[in-house]
Amino acid sequence: MYPRAFHYHRAGSLREAASMLSEFGDAKLLAGGQSLIPLMKLRYANPSHLVDLNFIEGTSYIKEESGVLRFGALTRHAEIEASTVAGKIPIIHDCAAGIADVQVRNRGTIGGSLAEADPSGDWATVLITLQTEVRCQKSQGDRRVQLTDFIKDAYTTALAQDELVSEVVVKVPPKGSAGAYLAFKRSAPVYPTASAAVQLTMDGETCKDAAIALGCVGLTAIKAKDAEAALRGQRVTEKTIAAAVEAARAVADPQSDMRGSVDYKRMLAGSLVKRAIDIADRRARGEQVEAGHIYA
Amino acid sequence: MSSAEDTNNWVGKSLPRKEENRLLRGRGKFADDIKLRAMLYLRFVRSPYAHARIVSLDTSAAEVLPGVACVLTGAEIAKTTQPFIEIGPDPFAKIKDYPLAVSKVRYQGEPVAAVVAESPAEADDAAELVQSEYEALDPVVDAEKALEDKSLLHEDVGTNRVWNGVFEYGDVEGAFKEAAYVVNIDRLHFHRFSSTPLENNVVIAQWNPKDERIYYQCNNSFPSFAIQFLAAHLGVHIDRIRVETSDIGGSFGIKITSYPQMAVCALASKKAGGRPVKWVETRSEHITSSAHGNERTFRDTRVALDKNGVITALVSRHIDDCGAYPRYEPLGCVIWSQVFPGVYRFKNARIDFSQAVTNKCPVGPNRGYSRMQHLWFLERIVDICAHKIGIAADEMRLRNYILPEEFPYTTPNGCVYDSGNYPKMLQVAKSLFGWDDWKIKQAAARKEGRLIGIGIGTTLDSGTNNFGQSQIVNPFLPYSGNSQGANCKLDIYGEVVLAVGSCPQGQGHETTAAQVVADVLNVHPDLITVRTGFDTERNVHTGFSGTYASQFAVSGLSAVHGAAQKLKSEIKRLAAFALNTKEDDLEFGSGAQGPEIRAKSSGKSINYWGLSNLVNANSASLPSDLYEITLNCRYVWRAPFKVPDTKKKYGSLTLTYASQLHVAVVEVERDTFIPRILDYVAVDDCGTVINPSIVEGQVYGATAHGIGAAVMENCVYDAVGNMLTSTFSDYTPITAMNMPKVKYGHIETPSPHSYSGAKGMGEGGAAPIHTISAALQDALFANDIIIEDSFNNADSLFRAMAAKEIRHVVSIEKRI
Repeated sequence: MYPRAFHYHRAGSLREAASMLSEFGDAKLLAGGQSLIPLMKLRYANPSHLVDLNFIEGTSYIKEESGVLRFGALTRHAEIEASTVAGKIPIIHDCAAGIADVQVRNRGTIGGSLAEADPSGDWATVLITLQTEVRCQKSQGDRRVQLTDFIKDAYTTALAQDELVSEVVVKVPPKGSAGAYLAFKRSAPVYPTASAAVQLTMDGETCKDAAIALGCVGLTAIKAKDAEAALRGQRVTEKTIAAAVEAARAVADPQSDMRGSVDYKRMLAGSLVKRAIDIADRRARGEQVEAGHIYA
Repeated sequence: MSSAEDTNNWVGKSLPRKEENRLLRGRGKFADDIKLRAMLYLRFVRSPYAHARIVSLDTSAAEVLPGVACVLTGAEIAKTTQPFIEIGPDPFAKIKDYPLAVSKVRYQGEPVAAVVAESPAEADDAAELVQSEYEALDPVVDAEKALEDKSLLHEDVGTNRVWNGVFEYGDVEGAFKEAAYVVNIDRLHFHRFSSTPLENNVVIAQWNPKDERIYYQCNNSFPSFAIQFLAAHLGVHIDRIRVETSDIGGSFGIKITSYPQMAVCALASKKAGGRPVKWVETRSEHITSSAHGNERTFRDTRVALDKNGVITALVSRHIDDCGAYPRYEPLGCVIWSQVFPGVYRFKNARIDFSQAVTNKCPVGPNRGYSRMQHLWFLERIVDICAHKIGIAADEMRLRNYILPEEFPYTTPNGCVYDSGNYPKMLQVAKSLFGWDDWKIKQAAARKEGRLIGIGIGTTLDSGTNNFGQSQIVNPFLPYSGNSQGANCKLDIYGEVVLAVGSCPQGQGHETTAAQVVADVLNVHPDLITVRTGFDTERNVHTGFSGTYASQFAVSGLSAVHGAAQKLKSEIKRLAAFALNTKEDDLEFGSGAQGPEIRAKSSGKSINYWGLSNLVNANSASLPSDLYEITLNCRYVWRAPFKVPDTKKKYGSLTLTYASQLHVAVVEVERDTFIPRILDYVAVDDCGTVINPSIVEGQVYGATAHGIGAAVMENCVYDAVGNMLTSTFSDYTPITAMNMPKVKYGHIETPSPHSYSGAKGMGEGGAAPIHTISAALQDALFANDIIIEDSFNNADSLFRAMAAKEIRHVVSIEKRI
């Protein structure tokens, strides 16, 4: 299949890209293109204008500055996977290393993934367990939006029509904090059936803080607040884990599709939370444990 | 220089594939690589409905779009063509199968129009402009419901039952009377899946207005079958249709039934004044509307067993779902009976076999075609009976297997299993697998509450069909036997050139054919040029030529061997004259000037150029009694078959029976329900092995395909006939990441039915599907779960385990 005819524009800067969006109206941004190009090929998306961001200098970087990691919007998943700086937050490596397949990771970008806000995307699930800000660029000026406010609904973000993501800023978790991301998928190129991100901040045997998010089981990544509360201020025991798992299952709101039935996905999300809590807890104790995408 | 006849030095070696250099470097030539001057591009407009009347189809906007050459509709082509031949008997000959839907659509994705334009993008643009209006009809998506005939797909036929026949042998009632156990199984179901070749279907057609000849460059994998359908449909003589194939990126049988698309491309070329028309299928088109494998439901099965668990009789009712149009069907209604008793000894059985049309994609002969469904059914019976009676799965098989000393074994329906040794395969598999260790580990794991099962799957890959079995489905069909052609020649400069009528899709025919010729002529295989790929004008094909049904090792290489022998005897006569000696004084080999023939007595020799020169360019010195020598030898190999008894449904249906025995340990993870394969062994017996590395590659490929089918790949339709798995995200073909490490083993029981002892083995008998079902059954039987379906993924296992009420699909009557 071939896309409908469109006008191609190569933006020289993010600011210029933003002004092209407002000028053209019916325009789409091309970053990694891993969602947009298939949709255009199938003619589900038919923009009149395509604004290519890939030739803008200085949009792909990973920097550590005063307690935060900064990711340029066009930083590829593969670059994050390979980065020792990003590796300081293990849950970020868990995610980057397993997104789709090698080809997708080489092209797909962190900014594009968040801006697409696919209910099954990996990044939002992981990053809402951390303190994450999204920098948004307009032709005049920019703003910062908390990730939890940035994602509004399925495929819907806080971005204005003439606005784009320029940077993703993630606060480095405190000492004693560790996380794990688990996503179950049937084969490399497909979206996960369910995923779970868990970030635990431990104070000795006590869980000082917990952040738990579920992916692919709702219209957006879901913050499992009751599950977090079940662990916060508690020791991580079979009992508190079971309570967190039940709370996570209760908040899951999946849809039935070829990846699984509603009941299966809800069950699976809870099981992944359980496994992720265990791994995060062990990592917090300094253990080296593998996490990431699990294949059927 | 060796003097041995048929030295057999090359056959049996893991010679690296001659094709490798071209294919692995990306230098192959596939149909889509072909670009022709003035070529046009075709795009199909397809039905969104599974079952609907076409109210209107307005192509006017598409026709006037710049760049559009022409548009075709079903109504238009029905005026100038005949419906395709139906293989089935009356009343199914009344089915009107046109390559574009005429007045109604019968599956989602059925083409209703074709637009032809200067570029693929313009063809896509034009396709969007075709306006269609449909009136939805009641869709029939379930074969058992289809048989109720409440909504008819083909009104002229008056029923959705395409075919019905009863296959009965032995004394069924008597065996049930004497049975110690009778096991009843309400329903088993073999799911619909397909193949996902790397390369989709591609057709380039040119209908030349000068001479009314049609030239196809395409990747159809059974062209001699396709041209018989095309000629009758298009109303042209078959000799006016040329089909040429080049490299093919996989078929697995699915590309056999691309003739409807081939027809449309030819008609489009004709309408466009003879310009070449190319159609390249998209992946979604391939998944929704090329061909799927046969789905089958097994109802009301009753199994009689003696007190030792030996199966004595079987009764069952099978309903095969062939989708919207029969096409290659109803051949599948008899092909399963090539393996009627599977690997087992029972003599008494009655199977009532029906086939139904449904509002789903038509089926095609998918790898393991029609036999794997039946073999899976038999393996399920064996495991279910074993569990119900309380006999271990390995022991149950040993008590029921056909014994090694019984070969050649005549089955109740007259098929002759050439050779085999199933107990030995089991033994080899068990030792590779560490059977006893796994049994201990399994017992320990079960104590921890883990769900671990060990399963055995024994299966057959019957190869080289007797096309006479088609007369069992329709006594009026003019087909029987099987044949393959090959041509072996010395070219003018003495090059050895072999042409075969097959169209390989990765099976390594160039290599194995060269190995065979190399042994006959005692030359290095590198010196033999092998022309594979079908070409009607190369004149080596017969009515059965193509690549399908696990047969090249037997039919193809027998033809190659025959052609090489023929050439060898001509070379001998000629060399005896040239070297002034007797034929038995000659030896074949290679000297300083390449391949040559030497007289042992005089030491004189003549090379291949010298010989060919005598015939082709220096013939004045040739005596007239040698004029009949051409050094260009066509040989047609014919399989030694008789026409089966169509009334009794009795006869030899296939020449060779390769066997496969797989063993797997599968754990159903308690918290995810993922069926995780912990260990996997595949043992193969394809008789004498021609090229071990090619055979091993085929085993890995078939194993991956089968594991994919067992746990990942399923063609799912909703209640109104929407296909829900039309992309790889939903269909999820198996990838390397999903594969367990496979331990490979093999035994060799040479076939007495082929000249070399080899058996066809490319399909693999879907052993992994049987094996994984068996392992899951073993894992979950304690939880009262019977594996009723051939497809089991995490979700379906979760639902089975979570079900509040246990479904009692199996019951046992004990009479002792």
